[in-house]
Amino acid sequence: MIEVKDLSIEIKDQHITKHIDFTIRRGKITSLIGESGSGKSMTVSALLGLLPIDAKVSGYVMYEGRNILDASVQEMASLRRQDIFTIFQDASNSFNPSVKLGHQLYTFSGERVGDTLDVFNEKMHVILDQLGLAWEVVEQYPFQLSGGMLQRCMIACAFYVEPALLIADEPTSALDMVLQKEFIQLLIRLNEERGTTILLITHDLDIVAEAAHEMAVMQQGTIVEMGTVETVFSNPRDAYTKRLLESRF
Amino acid sequence: MKSRKTLWFWCCLLGLIVFLTVFSSLLAPFSPNKMNMEEVYSAPSSEHWLGTDHLGRDVLSRLLEGGKVTLAVASSSVILSLVIGVVYGGISGYFGGVIDTVMMRLLEALITIPSLIIILVFQAIIQGGMWGMALLIGLTGWLVTARIVRSEFIRLKEEEFVKMANMFGTPVWKILWGHLLRNSIPAIFVVTLFNFAGAIFMEVSLSFLGIGIPPAIPSWGNMLYYAQNDILIGAWWIALFPGIMIFLTILAINFIGEAWKNPERRRVND
Repeated sequence: MIEVKDLSIEIKDQHITKHIDFTIRRGKITSLIGESGSGKSMTVSALLGLLPIDAKVSGYVMYEGRNILDASVQEMASLRRQDIFTIFQDASNSFNPSVKLGHQLYTFSGERVGDTLDVFNEKMHVILDQLGLAWEVVEQYPFQLSGGMLQRCMIACAFYVEPALLIADEPTSALDMVLQKEFIQLLIRLNEERGTTILLITHDLDIVAEAAHEMAVMQQGTIVEMGTVETVFSNPRDAYTKRLLESRF
Repeated sequence: MKSRKTLWFWCCLLGLIVFLTVFSSLLAPFSPNKMNMEEVYSAPSSEHWLGTDHLGRDVLSRLLEGGKVTLAVASSSVILSLVIGVVYGGISGYFGGVIDTVMMRLLEALITIPSLIIILVFQAIIQGGMWGMALLIGLTGWLVTARIVRSEFIRLKEEEFVKMANMFGTPVWKILWGHLLRNSIPAIFVVTLFNFAGAIFMEVSLSFLGIGIPPAIPSWGNMLYYAQNDILIGAWWIALFPGIMIFLTILAINFIGEAWKNPERRRVND
């Protein structure tokens, strides 16, 4: 679905990523794993067209047959609005602290797909129910809820929008172990029930083992290994991947 | 819990002062400018609660009416400085870069000139009345507000929820209004309160120097100005009561402002 070819990003003469290639297959959960500073987040910014102004980028990011690195600002904006949904690390910072959640959930979901408030209320009610959230959260402010609940609210929006691609950038690193597991289950559900393609960025191999179908290992701006989770786990070829896997057990 | 009660107390006191002055025309027992030459300098009594001045005018009535003038000048000037400050600081903070640098250097240059001096000069030149003075105080009082708004905007625009809104293609005005300004309100509120106290003080100072509110209109500062001579002949009540009112009003505003400055009351952590 998305094919990244020969992507290099350079900021102030510093190579952030060097000639990386990977593919995100439709309907699969692909995981991008690597230590902090390996260029994961910048790669995602490149996919979203949100790189800093002084960044130089070359290569191809093919999406539905065209290179979105060449897309205009408007095209990119509409792509981000309609096709891609992003979940960030810390949901408590992803919501405006002084606006009630109901309104924000609507802007994040219903408004984006062009639903009226009534349609939104009906659909969201069902989704929140399924995710084990009380409808009362819409009357609350973000600081009244826990990080786990807010992250679930975010994924509720993803359930609502049913984006072509969901990008989750370290979605669980602000959550404790139990909530992490719960959240990963929700991601898997979203993938299985709605067939949503998910790009999961993480530094946690356990999460990859649990959720992902395919994985790409990133180290210092290059992809050192790419394949299905089973093959990489059972038969790692790269030294760095081996080290990663060893440190896990 | 204790601080909540104190805050409550000061809010009530300020509310009472505002109420008394706003409805001064109904509450005042006499017309504020009605002279009575037979009752010049009469001490506080059951008829004139706070006594009369050198023209036999009732001090209580003038105090209430004068409060209205003082607070009207202060509020209108604060609203003016709030608008200028928010717009200036907002532009500077949101766009950043060269615009920010230029605007902030200009602001720093302006901030080095004491506003009292600027107002004194202009007031002496244009001989402004009540509204002229409000305009001058407003035009010189926005500098701190602008700084606060700028720093809040700079802090907030790096927050994830603003980036997220940007990513979804939210229109700029919506981000400015709903995300940045809305979350700056606690800080703006506090600085505006202190500005308000400052504006009252400015009106009082200028009127006390005799270049503020024209003599025909009573104001707290005016009353103090004319009471200077009266004190010499022992009519202490003419100066004392406006003094107490000014003291209490500014004190109340400052205490309310201090309580709000307390970060526990804020939603967004600094």
